[in-house]
Amino acid sequence: MTTDLLIRVAGEAGQGVQTTGNLLVAALARMGLHVFAIKSYLSRIRGGLNWFDVRIGNATVYGGRESADVLVALTPAALDTLRPHVAEGGAIVFDADPGAADAPGGCLCVPLAAIAKETGGSAVMANAVATGAVFGLLGYDLSALTAYFAEAFRNKGDETVRANVACAEAGAQRLGGAAGGIEAPQPGGEPVSVASGTDAVGLGAATAGVKLVTAYPMTPATGVLTYLAGAADDYGIVVEQAEDEMAAINMVCGAVYAGVPALTMTSGGGFALMAEGLSLAGMHELPVVVILAQRPGPATGLPTRTAQQDLLFALHAGHGEFPRAIFAPGTPEQAYHLTRRALVIAHRFQTPVILMTDQYLADLVMDTPPLEATPKPIDRYLVAAGDDYVRYAVTDSGVSPRAAPGGQGFVLLDSDAHTADGHITEDLEAHLDQQDKRMRKVDGLTQKALAPDRYGRPDADLLLLCWGSTYGPCREAVDRLRAAGQKVAMLHFAQVWPLKPGAVRRAVGLEGDDARPPGRIVCVEGNQTSQFRTVLREAGVGVEAEPLVRYDGLPFTGEDIAERVQA
Amino acid sequence: MINPPSDTQPAWCPGCGNFLILKVFDEAVAEAGLDRRRLVLVSGIGQAAKFPHYTQANVFNGLHGRALPAATGIKLANHDLEVVVTSGDGDMYGEGGNHLLHTFRRNIGVKCFVHNNQVYGLTKGQASPTSDLGFVTKVQTRGVALEPVRPLALAILEGCSLVMRSFSGDRDHLRAMMVAAFKHTGGTVLLDILQPCVTFNRVNTFRWYKERVQPVGEAHDPTDFDAAMKLAMQWGDAIPVGVIYRSGRPSFESQQPVLEKGTLVGQFEKAAG
Repeated sequence: MTTDLLIRVAGEAGQGVQTTGNLLVAALARMGLHVFAIKSYLSRIRGGLNWFDVRIGNATVYGGRESADVLVALTPAALDTLRPHVAEGGAIVFDADPGAADAPGGCLCVPLAAIAKETGGSAVMANAVATGAVFGLLGYDLSALTAYFAEAFRNKGDETVRANVACAEAGAQRLGGAAGGIEAPQPGGEPVSVASGTDAVGLGAATAGVKLVTAYPMTPATGVLTYLAGAADDYGIVVEQAEDEMAAINMVCGAVYAGVPALTMTSGGGFALMAEGLSLAGMHELPVVVILAQRPGPATGLPTRTAQQDLLFALHAGHGEFPRAIFAPGTPEQAYHLTRRALVIAHRFQTPVILMTDQYLADLVMDTPPLEATPKPIDRYLVAAGDDYVRYAVTDSGVSPRAAPGGQGFVLLDSDAHTADGHITEDLEAHLDQQDKRMRKVDGLTQKALAPDRYGRPDADLLLLCWGSTYGPCREAVDRLRAAGQKVAMLHFAQVWPLKPGAVRRAVGLEGDDARPPGRIVCVEGNQTSQFRTVLREAGVGVEAEPLVRYDGLPFTGEDIAERVQA
Repeated sequence: MINPPSDTQPAWCPGCGNFLILKVFDEAVAEAGLDRRRLVLVSGIGQAAKFPHYTQANVFNGLHGRALPAATGIKLANHDLEVVVTSGDGDMYGEGGNHLLHTFRRNIGVKCFVHNNQVYGLTKGQASPTSDLGFVTKVQTRGVALEPVRPLALAILEGCSLVMRSFSGDRDHLRAMMVAAFKHTGGTVLLDILQPCVTFNRVNTFRWYKERVQPVGEAHDPTDFDAAMKLAMQWGDAIPVGVIYRSGRPSFESQQPVLEKGTLVGQFEKAAG
């Protein structure tokens, strides 16, 4: 393992925890350090206890961890709660005057707000003081932070930039050289580019040519809606807040019928309301894409926490039988590419596609190669309707030539069983023709299915299976276990439905010329019932695995997986 | 397999008001000079919702209650299309109630023709949101106790740009209202069409409506909110029909800066080359 260090900033909602975290991420990545950041927050606007973790290293950092090397506590509650989770030899920066009678022991007390007021003229700049203090503590030069201030506050004027720089310097001065035994990764090299899962999904959608985005706000999906609203003018997108999730998915159905790529996003409860619309997209054969950002349920559950509990729900949502594909990216980079792929596959096969993320992937920020921001519209696979056009021509592939309304021929869709020309029918033979036609698309979807990615030793005795956002923690677990001398590898499923059984069996090592069955297979996922094992059975893959689950609302960590797999 | 005979003829009862509405609709399309290739009929579920199948147009026959959001999506994607929702009172005022409310607020250029017969037909005779108090059915065995929805008042209150009512039994009046709807460019249109259900509504019959509908007089100023509201609430011995209200609000699509550069579908095609 390379040297890594975790900085945790904690305080009440509204105290600038996120701002301080963002400052650290931006400045440290500029210094050529590899950064991984994740926030932990409560479902409230003010108060409570929120924290923001920034883990830094000299190589890509794939996840978080429980212990902090540096804790910046802005409130006594933050100090009390998180102090037990400070690593041995770690440092605690606490917002207090060191000379005060009630200054807690064992802490580096810095009056962050008071310094901000005195130096910058406003307590708001306490986050600049805190960031400077951390830089001072770790012996980091302030130039990258200064450059960031100059850029970020350009529009606010020189005075704001100067005040923030002064605050950071004051903070650094207080703690300069106080690091003691903390070993901090050495900065150097080119700036590292980073992205969050939310921004990557948004940019993937915008560049693919999505023209209508509509959703009812729901944590943790709202970030993508906000991102696209911000990008709407640049990319020519209409963003509309729907009155409810049923409206959202039906608006998307209407828009894609009329010929533009469109999508919606929600979390479990909202997705439940969309189930009927998903079935409509199956029947109408419309390229509808839903981004399903998971959080723990049932019902309202834990709105700001993470989970992978809706896999079987996404797989079976909607009445009746119709084809679908489900993608589950593991990193922001994958999220960008798979958002595009979700749209491409939906249009290619004229059927709904679900992109599953969760609070963890949505909120995390990590190393990500610069993502292409130039629009590159997808192929809609549309034809021009002639006079004799029929929407649901029966074909071998099940895919009928799709036209948009407004051309020479009429385009008719019916949610009832329909004839090839889209008219309502109760003719059972016509119904069977259409049902079989629709389900033939499963073959094409399966042929295009992504095989799982393998990481680790080819001769692994232990194979970890994971899907979606568990990629990063699982990868760190593989590195930890290998460092401990184990022959271990992992498979990550970025597409969870449909699965290509042969490809999965080859990836596992059960088939093929170089087949080498692992002695032990463990399925790592964020739900209680190990739903992906059910998916593997349903797909007829023939791979049985032990479950390793976490469902407390927090993401896995590499340490956590590595320890539990050995227990 | 026993395959029941398929039928492309309207699945409506003999004597249903829908037949006349269909006929008048075709006349109004011709009179307004609409290009049917650019006409999209959107409906939900119910007997009235089968309407789009029996004329010549593009069709989006979607889910029960969800015609309005689908129509909204179509209009936003391609605002050059004439998007007309044609569905019944249960679909539009009951199952789709939330969408109705917010479509009026949004004021998007979708024309809503609601076939209002004050009863559920396809599910065989239960109360609809517009059934009168005391209306007895096999479900509402003691008579309807819920205050009826007043669709015109709701539309006026929430800013629908053109609010009208007509009667399927007055062909000329209905045609004039439909033509006015087609010619309107300012946003959402509600045309509530009173219509008898010959099978399940033995109270609000053809004759019942015929004796009660009264065209609003020349003196009525549709831009007068209070006067319009008063007409919208009028029900019983005299039921006003005609242009009840014009809000004068700009349409939703006309307020989208992105759409100043053309339709979304046109912009996509331009970008895709």
